[in-house]
Amino acid sequence: MATLEVRPRLLDALSALRDRVDAARFPLPLPGAARARRNRAELLAQLDDYLVPRLCAPEAPLLAVVGGSTGAGKSTLVNSLVGRRVTEAGVLRPTTRTPVLVCHPDDHHWFAGQRVLPELGRVWVPAQDVTTLYDTDPEGRRGEEDDAAEPPSLRIETDRAMPPGLALVDAPDIDSLVARNRELAAELICAADIWVLVTTSTRYADAVPWHLMRTAKEYDVTLVTVLDRVPHQVATEVSRHYGALLAAAGLGDVPRFTIPELPESAGGGTGLLPDTAVAGLRGWLHQRAQDPAARAVASARTVAGLLASLGSRLPGLAGAAAVQHAAAVRLMQRVEDAYGRAAERVRSGVAAGEALAGDALTHWHGHPDDSTSDELLGALTASLAALVGCAVAAADEEVAAACTGDPAADAVLAPRDPDGAIGRIGVAVRRWRRCLEEVAEEELRAAEKGAGLDADRTAALLAAALLGGRPARTAGESLAELLGAQGALRLRDRGGQLLTECLDGVLDAERDRRTAPLEALDVTPDHQVELIAALSVLQRER
Amino acid sequence: MTTVRPADQSADRSADRSADRRDGTRDERSAGRCPAPESSVGRRPAPESSAGRHPAPAPDAPTSAGNWDDGLIARRARPDRPPRAGGVGSTPEARNAPPPRPETLPRPPAAPVPHPGAAVLRPRLDALRELVGLSRARLDRRTLAEAGRVLDEAVARQRHPLDLTVVAIAGASGSGKSTLFNALGRAQLSEAGVRRPTTAAPVACVWTEEPERADGVLDRLGIPARSRRQPVRPYDPALNGLVLLDLPDHDSATPGHREQVDRLLGLVDAVIWVVDPEKYADAVLHERYLRPLAGYAEVSFIVLNQVDRLGTDAADQVLDDLRRLLDDDGIALGEHGEPGAEVLALSALTGDGVGELREMLGKFTASRGAALRRLTADVDGVSARLRCAYVADGRPGLTESARHEFEDRLAEAVGAQAAGLAAERAWLRDAGRACGTPWMRARRWYVRGRAARKAAGAAGAAADGAAGTRTGSAAGSDTGVGTNAVAGAAASAAAGAGTGAGTGAAPKAGAAVPATVPATVPAPMPAPVSAATGAAAGAPAAPPSRAVSRPLVEQAVRALAYEASAGLPDPWALAVREAARRGAEGLAEALDAASAAAAAAMAGAGALGRPGMWRTGARRASAWCTGVGRPAGPPTAGGSSPGRAGGRTGGWIVGGRRARGDGTAARPFRPGWWAVAAAVQWVLSALQAVAAAWLLGVLTGSWDGDWWVPGPLLAGGVAGGPALAWCCRAMARGPARRYGLETERRLRNAAAGCGRERVLEPVAAELLRYQEVRAQYVIAAGEA
Repeated sequence: MATLEVRPRLLDALSALRDRVDAARFPLPLPGAARARRNRAELLAQLDDYLVPRLCAPEAPLLAVVGGSTGAGKSTLVNSLVGRRVTEAGVLRPTTRTPVLVCHPDDHHWFAGQRVLPELGRVWVPAQDVTTLYDTDPEGRRGEEDDAAEPPSLRIETDRAMPPGLALVDAPDIDSLVARNRELAAELICAADIWVLVTTSTRYADAVPWHLMRTAKEYDVTLVTVLDRVPHQVATEVSRHYGALLAAAGLGDVPRFTIPELPESAGGGTGLLPDTAVAGLRGWLHQRAQDPAARAVASARTVAGLLASLGSRLPGLAGAAAVQHAAAVRLMQRVEDAYGRAAERVRSGVAAGEALAGDALTHWHGHPDDSTSDELLGALTASLAALVGCAVAAADEEVAAACTGDPAADAVLAPRDPDGAIGRIGVAVRRWRRCLEEVAEEELRAAEKGAGLDADRTAALLAAALLGGRPARTAGESLAELLGAQGALRLRDRGGQLLTECLDGVLDAERDRRTAPLEALDVTPDHQVELIAALSVLQRER
Repeated sequence: MTTVRPADQSADRSADRSADRRDGTRDERSAGRCPAPESSVGRRPAPESSAGRHPAPAPDAPTSAGNWDDGLIARRARPDRPPRAGGVGSTPEARNAPPPRPETLPRPPAAPVPHPGAAVLRPRLDALRELVGLSRARLDRRTLAEAGRVLDEAVARQRHPLDLTVVAIAGASGSGKSTLFNALGRAQLSEAGVRRPTTAAPVACVWTEEPERADGVLDRLGIPARSRRQPVRPYDPALNGLVLLDLPDHDSATPGHREQVDRLLGLVDAVIWVVDPEKYADAVLHERYLRPLAGYAEVSFIVLNQVDRLGTDAADQVLDDLRRLLDDDGIALGEHGEPGAEVLALSALTGDGVGELREMLGKFTASRGAALRRLTADVDGVSARLRCAYVADGRPGLTESARHEFEDRLAEAVGAQAAGLAAERAWLRDAGRACGTPWMRARRWYVRGRAARKAAGAAGAAADGAAGTRTGSAAGSDTGVGTNAVAGAAASAAAGAGTGAGTGAAPKAGAAVPATVPATVPAPMPAPVSAATGAAAGAPAAPPSRAVSRPLVEQAVRALAYEASAGLPDPWALAVREAARRGAEGLAEALDAASAAAAAAMAGAGALGRPGMWRTGARRASAWCTGVGRPAGPPTAGGSSPGRAGGRTGGWIVGGRRARGDGTAARPFRPGWWAVAAAVQWVLSALQAVAAAWLLGVLTGSWDGDWWVPGPLLAGGVAGGPALAWCCRAMARGPARRYGLETERRLRNAAAGCGRERVLEPVAAELLRYQEVRAQYVIAAGEA
């Protein structure tokens, strides 16, 4: 299926899909989150670098990326294909740091902009021998740290020897020691129409290149493999063995080229392989570039393969998003349960009169003569604050115990803050005390017999009645005597309401403080749904 | 002897190198001329048979540099193996009959001395074993699995001869391991081919006298008999004791190779890493193998093979780059005589540089310490990984300030400060009452009576509905005692903690003035009966008092637990917190009991004493302490002395003295001067009465006399009473304060004692256990 014409609906579906994938986040540090993030980054890169540009402009030149392991001879191969040294090949590894793209001058405009590989900056160098660019002494290589700081860039070269309609990229090593190079290599390979995988006689059975080959097979891209640096003596044997391995892996029909190791390509000579050695590969590439039918097939196959692979990668992402959401819900639930139990504990404690203990109890006993109302009220307030603080601390401990094995809990919930909690609770309870005193004053004023009655005393008795439970029943009776039954009842109602509000407010505030970061992450079940929806739209359009 | 040695070895080395350079076959010949080396050289487990075969050591033969017939090589020959006199060439060595004797190698140390590493390693292994045993209860199995494995490996390795050095050749596919193996063994021992990967199963080559010596080690490595080779005899004596392994590669796609390599790398003593110019910067090699094994640098060799494919400058450049990469990996490079990995360049195909490697291997083997070094590196690695499970940040422990803070919080929970304040105020009030004017007394009595009559009805109802608490019983007992003002106050105070026998509370509400005038009212007469019955009925069912603030106790324990476990590794922190939590389970009840006991001690005998005895203010204070702390004594039914002023006066004098007599507390409750002051008050009031009568008489004229005699008298009496009362109150402030502080101190000590016994000591015990474990860890990690 030649997709040389632009299909707007497919493009729309693809852009919608891309937006959804971009919006998907995996903030909780669960076991599968790192891989999901990597997959997402790869997918986004592929969509941006390759699929969308290719579908928007099917007539753009083919991009062939030459990739392989360390020391496979990629740079030498690219130089030889072009006919001059456009990229440095050396003995010290890793060699290629800045990837190089070589194209025909007429095609320059296709690659000069950010159409393909938008993440990479562009560096232009006038057509000259590139050896003068690089420092050949090893000290120049020490600037690796500076490289890491700059954004990755792509160097663009033009040469008339390249056929129009084809561009070659020399990629860094796929298994380089420098992680940045590895990622760059992966990104470049994913942006290619044609993958040229280079391996050598010593590496052709290595695990890492085979992994790449299997990925190529899975994505069904246009693949060419080159067996490089083969010593003459063993060329046929190694080549045959390699062919057998490829056939065993199901890649038997992949075009295969063998290039011998020649002294000219080593340090001393011109650094280029002779034409005869690379003739086969060059011929194949040129044919692909110039024959329109072959070109269409090459690009269409890769596009179709990638679109098909989306069908398996996207559900993986959606699953990871669902796992995140489930974990978030679970965490939230635990915190809410713990704080709910704390609230229950506080309520039952207040009803049972637990606040009337220790200092408060002593002051209550000595109330009218030995202790002033102020002291009693203060002791009751402190006791209430201790009760609430204890409940909050117990809730925190419960949450910690329930989340022991959970790596996400530490990262996502706000840390425990016992001192801060005590402070906040103290503030809230003191505020309640002031409100209580005001309410008592109001009631006293409203009651007819206001003379000689003490607002302090009333407030203290009210507090004792609210917090003392059964042991302080007499406080209620005293209030009734002071203000009359109706007034006392009203006062108690208002006081009780204030107390409930205060306690609920404090506990809710503590709970919200702990779950604030989790809420800020905004992990919803929408992501998963949207991803699958976008995928099904795309499948329909395909 | 020692002066001869270095010359010996240098002669040997130079001869060897020259032989290398000349021709491979010449090597064969010279090796062939050298008989097999002495087997019991430098090894402790020398079989007696060999000792029998090698009698007395021969004297040193003089050596001439560069001469092959120097005594060293010849002397190492075994006597039962005849020298190849008819061997190739007629060089002088063939003529030498090797005198047999046990010979120490020119290298350090002397023969029977065990390797110094063993003496250092043994205590570390013991400490590690001890550590594992102590931590089984705390750490999970996975964490300790590695340590267990290291211990097992150490035991297993030490079962085999420690002077054998097992060296493995490892590297990537195609780097030339088999070629190097063959070059070192000088024979085609392992297949080196072009198809990749080549070596599928490891091959071993053993440089020992009897091949059976190495059988144990090779069995442990899992190498079948058919893969065990021997180098061409007679072989290089310098490599005696070497067991060389050719491993499969670690990066090919063929399954199984990598697992084999990983397994064998865990069992061998030393490794030669072979890299080539194409793959020396492979991520797999550095990240998967070299970096994690950086701790084994002393037993590693890193060899850059295939330098014949590069020119000389390129070779140097690549070697430098390799060193740089190894440095980045964290591997110590053995330059300038420091211990570390050896890095060299060679070409196994052409033999360039192989001699140097052979020589290094010889030195390495001769030191006989490879196994111990590897085990030491193992122990280092495992202790580094266990560090986070044993080493705490900072200095964990119970600081003094943490202890004080804990005790402070417990005191707060028990309410020590408030108790002290209340006691102080009660004392002051008593002082005021005792030294007050009689008019005040009368007024008090009147107010009390009125309030009692007012509260009669409510009291009755409330007393009926009273839940039986001991405070109810106290109320009952108090009211049973009678219309005793203070008794009533005691009832009210006690009932404040209790339930509806808050008859006392009602009168309290009635008195609106929170002043020093106590509004105390005894329960009216009918009430006491019901109250008493109700109380008596209810006393047995009294729930234990909860006067201690549970939340505060919990907070105190929690804060202590976190303070004590701050910085400890997780398993130990958990253990400390668990110990604190367990200790705190009964703490609140214990605090209740302790505070009650302290209060009782404060009140003297604590018993309610005889009915009718006046409750002094102190007794009232103790009564409420008692009321809060424990069930009061049995209600004392029976007669109650009516509260009369006179009776009261006498009562308090009597009661005071009696209280003084009864009191086992450290201080008398009633200072004597109160009695004096009271007497003076009575005198003053009598004076007032007389003067008033006199004045009245004078004024009305029925009496002869001047007004200015009784007038001032009257004025003085009237003014003197309150003035005296005020003075007494002022003077009583000091003792009151002391009394209050004493109460607080007692309560505080009681609470602290409770807390110490239940919580602080278990926590300290856990911390001590941690310290022990940490000491063992320090020994195991070699930092002692």
